[in-house]
Amino acid sequence: MLEHAAEEAILGLEDAGIDFVSGLPDGWQRNLHELVEQNDSFHYAPACNEGVAFSMCAGAWLGGKKSALIMENSGIRVASEYIARISLGTGVPVTLLCSYRGDVGETEHWGIPHGIVAEPLLQALRVKYLVVRHVEDLRKSIVRAKRLSEASLHPVAVLISGDCVWDDERAN
Amino acid sequence: MTLERFDWLGFLASKIPDDALVMSTYIGAVSFEWAHHTEEHPRSAHLGQMGDVVGLALGLALALPHRKVVCLDGDGSVLMELGQLVAMGQHCPSNLVVFVVDNGVYESIGWGANGRRTTATSHTSNLASIAASCGVPHTADVTTQDQLSEETDLAFSRDVCSFINVRTAPGPSHVEPRRTDGIEDKYRFVRYVEQLEDLWITGVPPQDIGLMKG
Repeated sequence: MLEHAAEEAILGLEDAGIDFVSGLPDGWQRNLHELVEQNDSFHYAPACNEGVAFSMCAGAWLGGKKSALIMENSGIRVASEYIARISLGTGVPVTLLCSYRGDVGETEHWGIPHGIVAEPLLQALRVKYLVVRHVEDLRKSIVRAKRLSEASLHPVAVLISGDCVWDDERAN
Repeated sequence: MTLERFDWLGFLASKIPDDALVMSTYIGAVSFEWAHHTEEHPRSAHLGQMGDVVGLALGLALALPHRKVVCLDGDGSVLMELGQLVAMGQHCPSNLVVFVVDNGVYESIGWGANGRRTTATSHTSNLASIAASCGVPHTADVTTQDQLSEETDLAFSRDVCSFINVRTAPGPSHVEPRRTDGIEDKYRFVRYVEQLEDLWITGVPPQDIGLMKG
């Protein structure tokens, strides 16, 4: 993620009142994880996979925290078991910040399957989502995602791509 | 040696501090019998399912570090997501104690032609050893009531992240199934925590708040 995008994401998390963050660092959001870890506004509790991270976020919400899970979109597949069991089953909100690997502009062949699966899987899980490709939209999109998540008592996702992650001159 | 589940859950229920919170599995004999012993006290969240009970308890313990959090899970569930033990060892909140009903079988699926289907803890896996190797500071593999008494006293008299595996005899529930689902259980638990901690977990819509203004 480009540095100014990561900074906007932090502002979005703060504006949204997020105070508990779990997840698994990925290539794009590595710097966002670092900023979260260094920021006293958040309790940062990373996990070894996104399924465990989702369970931790849900448990933290039950204890009064406002939770976000930061992960690559490949992690949606791993977390889907617990999104289904916990959120479809009982109604627990978690805001999901996902790198949108495999989106238009992808440079890496291994990112393609992540891009194919992510949106249909979110739809199957009844998780509403925004695809954010412009940095100026990132902050408010995180706030809106968290707002809907709390109102619907279900996860809502922000898929991050485009100008937030690519400097096209360097990518080409 | 093994302990009888109904008996040892009753013993644990008698020892649990009044101000503790419990994250329990919500399907099967453990949930039914725990609810029976605790008279459906709202401090217990019967919300966990296969592979997520320890993770939920871990999040709850990290969110409320001043509050003792007790987790009740089964061996099949822990085995399904061993990454939970990695995370438990990684963060090891001192207020978290996990008790595992390790009966060595997949009890809830019933009997097949060759008897019960066994889990890996009946053969090659030792959950307490796995938890220890993940960095959980205190672990135990309990096979007797004396050990359970000792471990329960330790768990509730000090603040050390602990994983207590209790070797348990298989067998059907001694009590009727519970009648609530996860949604009702969630609201019951959330309202209890809100009152206990003096906080709001579920929000109030801003438009509704606006209706209160003159």
